[in-house]
Amino acid sequence: MEQNWQLDNPILGLVVVGATFVLFYIVGFISNRQSKSAKELYVGGSNVGAITNGLAMAATYMSLATFLGITALILQLQVPFIMLWIQLILAIPLITIIYGTSLRRMGAFSPTHFIRDRYGTTASIIAALFMILVSIMYALGQMIGIAITFETLLGIPYITGLFIFGILIVGYITIGGMAGATNNAAIQMVIIALMFIVPLAAIMKAIGASGWYFPPLLYSDMVPAMMDALPTFFDYQFSPKWYFSIIPALTIGALGLPHLAMRVYTASSLKSARSAMVWFAFILGLVFSATYAMGFVGVFATTTQGVTISDADADKLTIILNMVYNPEWVTALVIAGAISAGLSTLSGNLLAIGALISQDIISTLKPNISQRLNLRIGFIAIFAGGIASILLAINPPAFLVVSILWAFGLAGVTNAPLIIVGVWWKEANKFGAIAASVVGGALYIIVSPFVFPSIVLTGHGVTDGMGLSGAMLAVPVSFILLIVVSYITNRIPALSGKLTKQADIELIERIHGWKDIKAYRYNSTLGAGITVVVSAAVAIWALMPWGM
Amino acid sequence: MKAYKKEVQFTIWMTAAFILVGNVGLIFSIFPVDAMLFGFPVMYIVPILMGWFGVFLLTLVAGKIGNRIDDEIERENDALGHADEAKEV
Repeated sequence: MEQNWQLDNPILGLVVVGATFVLFYIVGFISNRQSKSAKELYVGGSNVGAITNGLAMAATYMSLATFLGITALILQLQVPFIMLWIQLILAIPLITIIYGTSLRRMGAFSPTHFIRDRYGTTASIIAALFMILVSIMYALGQMIGIAITFETLLGIPYITGLFIFGILIVGYITIGGMAGATNNAAIQMVIIALMFIVPLAAIMKAIGASGWYFPPLLYSDMVPAMMDALPTFFDYQFSPKWYFSIIPALTIGALGLPHLAMRVYTASSLKSARSAMVWFAFILGLVFSATYAMGFVGVFATTTQGVTISDADADKLTIILNMVYNPEWVTALVIAGAISAGLSTLSGNLLAIGALISQDIISTLKPNISQRLNLRIGFIAIFAGGIASILLAINPPAFLVVSILWAFGLAGVTNAPLIIVGVWWKEANKFGAIAASVVGGALYIIVSPFVFPSIVLTGHGVTDGMGLSGAMLAVPVSFILLIVVSYITNRIPALSGKLTKQADIELIERIHGWKDIKAYRYNSTLGAGITVVVSAAVAIWALMPWGM
Repeated sequence: MKAYKKEVQFTIWMTAAFILVGNVGLIFSIFPVDAMLFGFPVMYIVPILMGWFGVFLLTLVAGKIGNRIDDEIERENDALGHADEAKEV
């Protein structure tokens, strides 16, 4: 039975969403009154406390996908998708310990800022262009999700919703800057957690689950009924290779996402950045676990409770469950939560685009422009990035979450190796960085199903589409190129004039906190060699048949 | 030398620990287990619990050790300042 899922009283939904918007505008305006420099705009003056920052990190990371896409993919792929999603929590902890604190010590605005100081202008512009592509794809996903939410649930036509709310959102991010975005993101995280978990508790109570008072973990009494109705729900379905490919694609991919790394630089101190990571892990684990519970309850409701959700409506599972089991005003609050989730991620993406264009491209090409002009360009870039994502969303691609996850892989191929190796190995140079970013990036795009649908590694739609197979090949290739090309070019005397070896060495020592320089530090040829061998093995494995 | 070694080893081992704890699903895909825990299949609930509490505990440990290594680097810097103040390195 096809059903039209829409609030009977759309005014209620609009009022709740409108009220949250007003709140975000006020917080943004108050927070950003003092944003007079680029540093304040992009990293909130590097003065954000641990709890606020930890919550903001989690909100930036938890996109609209939490409410819309994930539960749909759990409905479709079941347990393998949950296993894929779990490791996403590693993003901020790994960024913090591998390079975040070093880049915070350096005073970077964005990861490409480090790439510019480390590898020079050309490499940083290539990396920045890839990062703008990643950020726009990511922002696009949020924009589409927001417009779809307004369309399907409140009856506002897609294009109207896209433009009206898109421009409202872009306006609030431009006004708010990073200080506003951070304070708002922290509030949004609380809204997301409450609007997701409390209604889920009510749904579980209605279904008859005895553990409704703690939805994230206490739903085991539904397991026997689930196993009877759908014995395959808990099956892993795929080979260990599939599960392994998640590491290069998403774990390493997340290390290259600029809007996440920027959150670490907003910390008031290194200690505060480390405390923020603890808060991030706690709150994200809580909401992620609730997401799996929501997916489980969704599958449970459709297989045992007679709730029918068509394939086209799968994305709306969370909201449909609320409509079936909860009063309408609760659903309105859930919609506000979903919009908040989209907003916080979108503001992270747009601020990253602003920083990339004004700091990493324009300031790099024209270093002498005034602070005021630079700041103005930043505001224009944030606004333009938002408008670009609105325009791209006019014709939305299918598979919202799939394309966001593909963007993780692109970040993993083009940015993560440059940053990781750049922070930990003095020999890495600009020739290696350019080769890794350009060849790795091109390889990843070629084997994706979006450009040449016939050139793919597995032929399994979702696996290729999410970039799992492509990243398993391109990420190690990128690491190998960076290390091998750097190693060789460092030993060609004709090229030594083009390299800035001494400056690189000083930079690396400084960002690790050293005041002197020692030849033995961050100079391990053995470490680089092991990385090349392991990477080669992974790349060869990726080329072997996947059997899917 | 001591603080440097600690910093490198800490980063390698901590990264490995995080990746392992966040990817318990990979381990179970290689070594399947047919048992139940807290009413759920082990292969379902253990990755979820490790992906929340395991990662959370590791962040606590990583934060503590990271801060301590920073202090040690600072101490080595200070010692260096006293020992060879005039020396250009």
